[in-house]
Amino acid sequence: MSRRAHQKTPRSLLFGSVLLFIGFAAAGAYFLQKGSNPYRTVEQLKPADYFENANSLRGNVYQIEGVILNALAQNPEKGRLFSIGVTSDSKKWPMPIFIPAKLRQINLQKNQTYRAKVRVDDAGILVAEEIQKS
Amino acid sequence: MLVLQSIALQLGELESPLLSNLSAWYPASHFGAILGPSGCGKSTLLKVIAGILPHTSGSIFWQGKNLENEDLPAHQLGYVPQFSCTQPRLSVQENLLYGARLRQKGTAQEIETRVDQVMEETGLQDLQDRRAGVLSGGQLRRLSLAMELTTRPSLLLADEVTSGLDPKSEEEITELLASLAREQGRLVLLVTHSLRYMEAYDSITVLTDGHLAYSADPRDLTNYFRVKSPEAIYPTLAAQSGKEWADQWIALPKPEGITPENILGEMESILISKEKEQSLQLPSLLSQSTTWLSRRIKIFLRDPAQVFLQLSLLLVFPAVVTLFAYRGLPEVRNMTMSSDTGVLEQLRDSLAFTIQSSRVGTLVSGLTMFQVILLALMGSNNSAREVIGDRPILEKEKLAGLRPGAALLGMGIFLSLLVFAQAGWMTLFVRAVCQFPGDLEAQFIPFLLVTGSITALCLAISSWTSSSEQASLGSLYLVGFQLPLSGAIIALPDFLGALTRPWISAYWAWSGYLQTLKDTRFYDLVKSITETPLASSGVSLWILLIHLLMGLVLTYFGMRRSQWR
Repeated sequence: MSRRAHQKTPRSLLFGSVLLFIGFAAAGAYFLQKGSNPYRTVEQLKPADYFENANSLRGNVYQIEGVILNALAQNPEKGRLFSIGVTSDSKKWPMPIFIPAKLRQINLQKNQTYRAKVRVDDAGILVAEEIQKS
Repeated sequence: MLVLQSIALQLGELESPLLSNLSAWYPASHFGAILGPSGCGKSTLLKVIAGILPHTSGSIFWQGKNLENEDLPAHQLGYVPQFSCTQPRLSVQENLLYGARLRQKGTAQEIETRVDQVMEETGLQDLQDRRAGVLSGGQLRRLSLAMELTTRPSLLLADEVTSGLDPKSEEEITELLASLAREQGRLVLLVTHSLRYMEAYDSITVLTDGHLAYSADPRDLTNYFRVKSPEAIYPTLAAQSGKEWADQWIALPKPEGITPENILGEMESILISKEKEQSLQLPSLLSQSTTWLSRRIKIFLRDPAQVFLQLSLLLVFPAVVTLFAYRGLPEVRNMTMSSDTGVLEQLRDSLAFTIQSSRVGTLVSGLTMFQVILLALMGSNNSAREVIGDRPILEKEKLAGLRPGAALLGMGIFLSLLVFAQAGWMTLFVRAVCQFPGDLEAQFIPFLLVTGSITALCLAISSWTSSSEQASLGSLYLVGFQLPLSGAIIALPDFLGALTRPWISAYWAWSGYLQTLKDTRFYDLVKSITETPLASSGVSLWILLIHLLMGLVLTYFGMRRSQWR
C-alpha cells in the first residue's frame, strides 16, 4: 500500500473513464437521435415505388421528409396541395402532398424542410396525417 | 520513535541516487537537526519521511509500524515546507481557522479555542488580524508552523523554516521548535543550513551527497569531524566522497540506542497518539467542501481587482454581441408560394430570398456562435488557473487530510455560481436587446452547459499541468479550436467534421441554441446558409453534459494525483 502523499492515478483508469464517457456519449446520442423522429416506427416512402404504381400503395401509411417547392392548389374548407421535393437515392423527386384543413395551424413556407406522416388516398395523393418542421 | 532502515531513493536507473542506504533513528520528545551542503538530500529525506516521495528501497517505521503498510494518520504528521502554504488575502486567524476546519472535526467553538491556544503557543496573538500577505518572513514561518500545530502532530517535519531569517527570528523559531519537541512526546526534525544554536538540538544528522555522514549528539560533532568549530564541517565534508563518509560512519561502533528514557518517551508518545486518534477525526467530505467553498468566496471577495474584472467581463461581453443587432433581428420576407407568377418574377423572388437568407442567416448563426465563443472564453477564464494556481497549497492540505473530492466539490460550487451568472446574463441581455424569439429556458440551458463544460475541461487542464503558463496555453488551445472546428462559420469537409465535432462543445451549444429557433424562419435561413448539419436539441445537450462530466472526472483524477515540486 502506497503512502497517502504520493497517490497516482493508473493510466488504465484514466483512459478507461474517457472510453466510458465516449461510449455513454455515443449510446445516448444514438437513442436520442432515434427518439427525435416521432415517426420512426412508420415506414419510409420510396418515391420510385410511388411513381411506378401509386395505386398499389393506396391506404398505406408512410413517412416522408422533404422541402416545400410550391403551392399547387388551395381550398379553405378542404386544405392545401403542395409539391414537396423528396431526396432518395441521390435524386430529388417532386411529389404531391395534400395538407388537410385540420392541419391549417402549421405555417408552411417555400424552401422549408418538413417531416410528415402521410396516407396514400384512393386517388394516389399523399394526404398528411401529421406534419412537423424537420 | 522514527526508524529509518536502509533508505534509498533513485529517480531513474541511470541517475545517481538521491539517498543511499540511509539508516537512522529518532526517539520521541526529540529535536533533531538535519544538516548538510546544498543538494545533499536533506529536504528529500524529509519528503521521504512525510511520504511525499516514495523511497525505492528500505523501510520507515513510526511507533513500531511500517509506514508502507499503514500510513501515519493525517493529524499525526505536521510538515512545514519551504514555500508558504498560507493564503495571503486572509488574516492570520482566518488562515488558522480554515486550516484547522479542513483537518479536524469539531464545533466552531472547539476549533476557535484550539486556534487561540496555537496562536498563544506560537506568539501570533498580536498578529491575528493581520493579513498573511503583509507578514515578515519570520512571522510567516511562525504562521506555517502554527497551522501544523492545530492538530497537535506527534511528528513535526520542518523544511528550512529558519533559512533566510534575521538572527533574532532564527533564534526565536529554533527555540519554539525546541519547546514543541518537549511537549507530548513529539519528535521534531528540522532541515537547516545553519550551524548556530547547536545546543538547542538533541541530535544532528549530517548528510553529504545523499549519504549519511553522521547522526548523533551535537556535542560529539566537532570531535567526529576533527574540526575546531561546527562551521568548519562543510569544507571538511568536501574532502572526501559521500560514500567514504557513509562507510566511515557505518564502521564506527555506536552505543546501544535504547535507554530507559527512550522507552518511556516512546510509550508516552504511543499512548498520546492513540488518545488523539480517538479524539481527532477528519471532518466529513461535505464539511471539508463547505469550508473550502467559504474560504474560496472570501478570498475572491477580498480581491477587488478580480471582482471588478469578473463583473466587467460579465457585462461587457454580452454588450459586445448586441452591437451587431442592437435594433433587433430583421423581419424575414417569405418566398411567393404561387406557381402562377412568371419565370422572371420567380427568379427575382428567389434571388431576393437568397440574398436575405445569406444576410439574416449569417447574422443569426454568427450572433449565436459569438455568444457561445464568449461564454467559452469566460469559462476558460474561470478555471484555467484554479487548481494550478494554488497547487502547492492543495498538495499540502491533501497531506494534512483534505480529500481531493471535497476540494473539487467546493471548487465546483464556486465555479457554478460564476457559470450561472455568465450564462444567465448572456442569454437574458442578448435576447432582450436583439429580440431573439424562442423559449428562454431552452436557450439558457445550452449556454449554461457550454460555459460549464469549458469551465470543467479547463479545470481538468489546470489539474494536469505543472505550471500556470501551461494551463493557460492548454485552455487557449481548447477555446481557440472551438470556432474553426465547429463548422459554424466555414463548413469542414464531411469526414473531418464528423471526426472533430464530437469534441467541440461550441458546436453542440450552437446547434442546441439554434434548435430553439426551429419554429421561426431564422432557423430555416441558418440552415439554408450552412452546410454543417445541425444536431437535435436532445443530442446537443447530452453531448455538452458528457463534456462537463468528463471534465469533472478528469479534474478529480488530476487533483488526486500527487504533484509536489
